[in-house]
Amino acid sequence: MNNLSKQFFRLGSVTLLGALLAVTPFTTFAAKEIRIGIIYDLTGPLAGAGSVPASIGTQIAIDMVNEKGGVLGKYKIVPIKGDAQSKPDVAINEAERLINLEKVDILAGIYSSAQAVPLSGKLNAMKKFFWINVAISSAVFKNKNLRYVFRAQVHSDQFGQTSLDFLAEYAQKKLGMKPSDIRVAIIHEDGPYGSGVASSNKIGALSYGMKIVHEEGYSLTTPDLSSMVIKLKRARPDVILHTGYNPDITLFLRQAKELGLRFKVLIGHGAGYGQIDKLVEAFGTDVDYIFNVDPVAAQLLDAKTLKPGIGDLTKEMVRRYKKITGAKEVPPHTSMGFNHTWVLLNNVIPVAIQKYGGFDSESLRKAALDLDIPVGGTIQGYGIKFARPGHKMAGQNLRASPVVMQYVGGKTYIAYPTALQNIDPVLPLPASSPYAAR
Amino acid sequence: MALFDFFLLEAIINGILFGGVLALLALGLNLVFGVVDVIWIAYAELVMSGMYIIYTLHITWGWPLLLAAPMAIVGVGLMGLVVHRLIIAPILDTPPINQLLATGGLLFFLQNFATLIFGADFRNIGLSLPILQIFELYISFSRLLSFGAAVLGMIGLYLFLSRTYIGTAIRAVAQDREIMSLMGVNTKKVYLITSALAGAMAGLAAILLVLQQDVHPFIGFSFGPITFMICVMGGLGNLIGGFFAAFIISQIISIGSFYGSTELSYVIAFVLFIIVMFIRPQGIFKRNT
Repeated sequence: MNNLSKQFFRLGSVTLLGALLAVTPFTTFAAKEIRIGIIYDLTGPLAGAGSVPASIGTQIAIDMVNEKGGVLGKYKIVPIKGDAQSKPDVAINEAERLINLEKVDILAGIYSSAQAVPLSGKLNAMKKFFWINVAISSAVFKNKNLRYVFRAQVHSDQFGQTSLDFLAEYAQKKLGMKPSDIRVAIIHEDGPYGSGVASSNKIGALSYGMKIVHEEGYSLTTPDLSSMVIKLKRARPDVILHTGYNPDITLFLRQAKELGLRFKVLIGHGAGYGQIDKLVEAFGTDVDYIFNVDPVAAQLLDAKTLKPGIGDLTKEMVRRYKKITGAKEVPPHTSMGFNHTWVLLNNVIPVAIQKYGGFDSESLRKAALDLDIPVGGTIQGYGIKFARPGHKMAGQNLRASPVVMQYVGGKTYIAYPTALQNIDPVLPLPASSPYAAR
Repeated sequence: MALFDFFLLEAIINGILFGGVLALLALGLNLVFGVVDVIWIAYAELVMSGMYIIYTLHITWGWPLLLAAPMAIVGVGLMGLVVHRLIIAPILDTPPINQLLATGGLLFFLQNFATLIFGADFRNIGLSLPILQIFELYISFSRLLSFGAAVLGMIGLYLFLSRTYIGTAIRAVAQDREIMSLMGVNTKKVYLITSALAGAMAGLAAILLVLQQDVHPFIGFSFGPITFMICVMGGLGNLIGGFFAAFIISQIISIGSFYGSTELSYVIAFVLFIIVMFIRPQGIFKRNT
């Protein structure tokens, strides 16, 4: 080997060594990171209907875990955010970007059922672990036997049934009517979310023998609902069961008032009805005594009924959310975003790593199926046990349950189930309400 | 169900009032197309900008509503002028697809700019206007106001175009812009005035919509497509055609929704639109400003 060759050899060796030294720390560092793709609607009509509060809840959970060194104290969570822009096609594109370009290990989030339904099938086929935080449509899981998709959230069949169970419970006591005498109207946005809840509303109403006097779907971007309101006036329902996002909910409430629609009870089902701050801003005291079915906003629960330490978790979530947003009330969507992400980071991923050897989709799936949190074990009160493959709702949390909340004086109270109640529900609407039947 | 009932009358009246809102929206869009020969795809987003101007001045800065509302007309009028000067004028002589894409880009810019500044939250000025009640018939005062404004806007625009010097110039340019250029008319100035006028109409629509709808960056999704459909149906650029098409569409939606469902009524409206386009591609009314 001549001098020139030796010099080349030395230079090459030094370069190779340098490159190895440079790459090694990154490789080690990369192994300590868990990349999670988080998709929510940060823009578009759904952003203001609860998706942004949910995304903030998710970020708070990630921050709290990372502040303690990450999962198991050593795996930092790197959230890679995607904005679905309130459109299913954009959600799918964002999921593909996060998986193929950002190489995320897990995909989580999702507010809209219209996005959750196509995404769940697609990601399951790709064997990508998908953790749904907010979207509720039962159609995501029903008879699909998904293996890599999990949802700790309540599903839409429960939403629709709970409002009817509540009505049946209080029909005689408060309305002085037999359940079978109640005239019910079901109105809803026409996506998977609204249609899913409306369908279970219908099944529930029929199971109690209630009369369904009107049923109608509409597009959430419709600029006018006056004809539907007029038909409701003609149908004279005692109870209106409404499922919508925003701005359709505020449009309905405004036009209902302007056109003199009267009823005894209005029960909303999450989404826009969960945003009490926004409803009060638009309608003031007019929204008093409206009911909302949703998984509970964690801060409404009595911490003494929960596992020790859970109450402190809720307090910290509320403190951080108010600090970030300046909001007075913390909507249920924040609890959903926080709670379900917290469970993923603290109860699923650690088990996947310790028991199954990593955080690949297969290990995560096994860890999720092992999950067995009893009632009172999460900030929203319910436990978590996922339906196993072969079950008609495989992947769905079988222990989740919603509550019925009531708005009074700009504050939220739990009206049902009676075990969690912190208000004696007010129904029918008192005469002070502009919607009260006269 | 009886063929005609009291509630149907209420639906028809509400359809007419809803038509007023749509007619007002169609006026500005048609004016620009009729004169400048450009479709402002972002027209509903200009209305959204006007709504945010009112919200900011009234709620954030505490101005009285009666003072904040006219500022939407001034502000969006100026925006119309800027849109023409910065976006349309440089590409006016290029193929129409370029102008369409440019105003499409403006649509996304305005939506995202509003999201950046105001966030995605739904906002409301929290004003509840009185309701007119005649027996069991309820009429929204805010809708009545919109209807009145649409009619007055139409009459005012008609008088402006037919009785003033600049109005006559606008009509002349609308009829033949090349010839008018050759005759020494400053068409650029006419375009600028027309764009400002269309912007001002969007500002007026913003005042009336802010009384009926939430303010949010994506309100254009609710009103943009239907306004465009009305303009095409009435004959793009035809002010009177657009005005009447607004009421035809609003009645189809209102009565269709009354007898069927809200979803069905839009299906009927769009099917009718397609049929009209097959039979009269130039719209129900011949294009003529």
